Amino acid sequence: MTDSTILETTNLNLWYGQKHALIDISLRVPKNKVTALIGPSGCGKSTLLRCFNRMNDLVDSSRITGEILFNGNDIHDPHQDVYAIREKIGMVFQKPNPFQKSIYENIAYGPRIHGVSEKKALDRIVEESLRGAALWDEVKDRLHEPALSLSGGQQQRLCIARSLAVGPEVILMDEPCSALDPIATAKIEDLITRLARDYTVVIVTHNMQQAARASDYTGFMYLGRLVEFDGTTKIFEDPGEELTENYITGRFG
Amino acid sequence: MAKGFSIRARCQNFGWPRDRRAREISRPIIGAKRRFVDHAVGKLLFFAALAAIVAVFIIIVFLLRDGYQIVLETGPWNFLTGAEWNPTGRNPAYGVFPLITGTVLVMALAMVVAVPLSIGSAVFIAEIAFPGMKSTIKPAIELLAGIPSVVYGFFGLILLTDWIRVAFDQPSGSSWLCGSILLAIMAIPTITSIAEDAISSVPREFKEGSLALGATHWQTIRRVIVPGALSGISAAIILGMGRAIGETMAVLMVTGNAAVIPDPIYDVFSPVRTLTGTLGIEIGEVAFGSTHYHALFGVAVVLLFITLAINSAARVITTRIQGTQGTPRSAPPGRVKTALRDSAPHRALATAASRVAHAASAPFGRLLHPRISQRCAFFLISLSVAIVLAVLGVILFEIVVNGAGAISWEFLTGSPRDLGRAGGIFPAIAGTFYLVGGALAVALPLGIATAVYLIEYTADTPLMRSIRAAVDLLNGTPSIVFGLFGFAFLVLFIGFGVSLIAGQITLSLMILPTIIRTTEEALRSIPGSLREGSYALGATKWQTIWRVVLPPALPGIFTGAILSIGRAAGETAPIMFTAAIFSSRFLPSSLTEPVMALPYHLFVLTTTVPGAATQSYGTAFVLLLLVLTIYLGAILVRRRYHRATVM
Repeated sequence: MTDSTILETTNLNLWYGQKHALIDISLRVPKNKVTALIGPSGCGKSTLLRCFNRMNDLVDSSRITGEILFNGNDIHDPHQDVYAIREKIGMVFQKPNPFQKSIYENIAYGPRIHGVSEKKALDRIVEESLRGAALWDEVKDRLHEPALSLSGGQQQRLCIARSLAVGPEVILMDEPCSALDPIATAKIEDLITRLARDYTVVIVTHNMQQAARASDYTGFMYLGRLVEFDGTTKIFEDPGEELTENYITGRFG
Repeated sequence: MAKGFSIRARCQNFGWPRDRRAREISRPIIGAKRRFVDHAVGKLLFFAALAAIVAVFIIIVFLLRDGYQIVLETGPWNFLTGAEWNPTGRNPAYGVFPLITGTVLVMALAMVVAVPLSIGSAVFIAEIAFPGMKSTIKPAIELLAGIPSVVYGFFGLILLTDWIRVAFDQPSGSSWLCGSILLAIMAIPTITSIAEDAISSVPREFKEGSLALGATHWQTIRRVIVPGALSGISAAIILGMGRAIGETMAVLMVTGNAAVIPDPIYDVFSPVRTLTGTLGIEIGEVAFGSTHYHALFGVAVVLLFITLAINSAARVITTRIQGTQGTPRSAPPGRVKTALRDSAPHRALATAASRVAHAASAPFGRLLHPRISQRCAFFLISLSVAIVLAVLGVILFEIVVNGAGAISWEFLTGSPRDLGRAGGIFPAIAGTFYLVGGALAVALPLGIATAVYLIEYTADTPLMRSIRAAVDLLNGTPSIVFGLFGFAFLVLFIGFGVSLIAGQITLSLMILPTIIRTTEEALRSIPGSLREGSYALGATKWQTIWRVVLPPALPGIFTGAILSIGRAAGETAPIMFTAAIFSSRFLPSSLTEPVMALPYHLFVLTTTVPGAATQSYGTAFVLLLLVLTIYLGAILVRRRYHRATVM
């Protein structure tokens, strides 16, 4: 792998209570690329994703061993500010979850909590972020309407815009299209490709075509283990493991 | 590169410290300040919650401790099954059996009257009424749940007892029957409202499934919808029972209060005395620390156990429904309304399908044609609504028509003269505002902080569950028990005397559980995904709560607060031994002076001052207007809130 690494895990193990959800995951996520994580339901893809910005801290019963490095820094280092980590590593969820605020306020929320209060700066961040998520043209005349009045696909792009507004380096996406129709899905996939110019995107997906279409690298996970990680073309055309091949050819899953 | 697309490149201009190339992720200065605030708020909420929870446990422990004394003094068996309650006789007797019997009899007959009428009304509103009708009748009936019990008692005492005396040719109308009818009227709005929610939440598909099999609307209601909503309807009835058992003032005013067991047991014209009525009558005249005093605490503990039984029954019913859904947080009994779907309708629909099929194969074997039985059933249902509305209409009409005549400038702004037979009720109006204002000032911040702490900061551990159970217990506890606690703890033990502050604290303790409960409900209704969305942007816990969770929860919290205000303004039992005096010319000049209050004024005028009918009506009218305005506010807020969230 020639690309530089932004996120790196070494021997990462995670338990939810008694359940060993991630087993010895060692992975390097290349910078400014789209990395897809695929695998059957319950294999730990989403759990792994949530490790990257320490969202699993919110689950009381979770326990982690191993190391996660972000730009070479251990994110579990007690000196690290977890809030700053989440600022740098944004996340978009499976179901669009806009706040019950206006479109504008949804985007401005992030910068505000990180200390931006100047109206001009906020206006600018809102516009840039909405443009970044290819939503600006659709909503520029209705910025102060409730975000919940948008369609599902628009809501999801709003959530992407919202995460862009705090200036992240990595965007984690947890099955961002699973609640959307094919047209909205196509728009999001297109957006993901464009986002990779400025950001590193890690996407969890159930949809193998989506992984094949939109990602540069793919990791296949099964029962909490990372079975194989390689370039997307390699994984889909010439997988190294039989398990991977069986999965992507639809023999199980 | 796409136009205007490189956001991170421009971020440096936005004016907050950001060096993309920095090797350190954290920005110590902002991070430290933010973490400090987050930490401080967490601590603050913790102490607020601790204070509220300590208060809740103090009440329970205090009641149990003094109630236990009577068990030591008379023995548990004598106390519970003793056939005579006569604490002031030469040979004092402390047997609560007649009181328990009285409570059970009054409640049972009230349910016999209230349940069919309520369920009929609920079915009517949910299934038969036109949309426009539904949106009028439902809030109207809910509004009536807010009428203060002393107003019902007033109505019962001046009209109902008379009617019963004349109609049945009895020496006195103050009787078991009268108490039951009055309690039925009071319980109907509660039962109807909750049962209607249950019926309305039976999924449409079940109804359509049944209709598609050729069942009539009535067959569908009877065999699919009502069975499907049965758990919710049972919970509604149980909560109605709770309301009936906990009622003090209305019962006290119309049941005659003789501590006897009716003989024969079905003699509905016999006077009876309830547990709550006993407390209402005797707290004022008891000597601190005497056996009688302990016996009253024993009565309060019995009430506490009855409340516990009712709560547990409601909980069992709701968890049985929710059991299959595996909700991560335990559902309180108050959530009956939201928890009613599931399994039961499936079974009901299957049964209905087979029955309809049978019926269709033997169309001549039936007693009545389905359309005729439907017509009969709908007639009865409509009749029950008509009765409910007529009764409630009569009460309102009576009080409004007679009360409005008493209203004058002097009545509203003057002080009472001649034991309230003349002059005005201004000190009572102002006193009510003092009491409610003080109660809110304590309970609102404390209750909201406690709920936020319980929901946002704690996991569902056994400790939290027991705290919730304690809060629930007090939420359903009769208000007179708070009166007893306030009297014993604040007035006597702490030594405030009968004073404004004792009343304010008693009322705030009474509404605290309600505020905690409703705030918890409101917070719980905010989906976890919103919290996650906020955390994922790097927000702290407090930033997330303050900016993402609280704003949409506010209408729900607000509704709870308004309902508490209405309750605090209308309650008599908690203040009559802690704060209220009758007929004072002046407003209290300090917190340690007693105060007049509308409900208590009405109570005394009605029960002990002959010849003050006009003033009674006037006071009832003002009290009614005040409380109903508050409730109307709550209903409007909730409606707007519903519309906003439906979107």
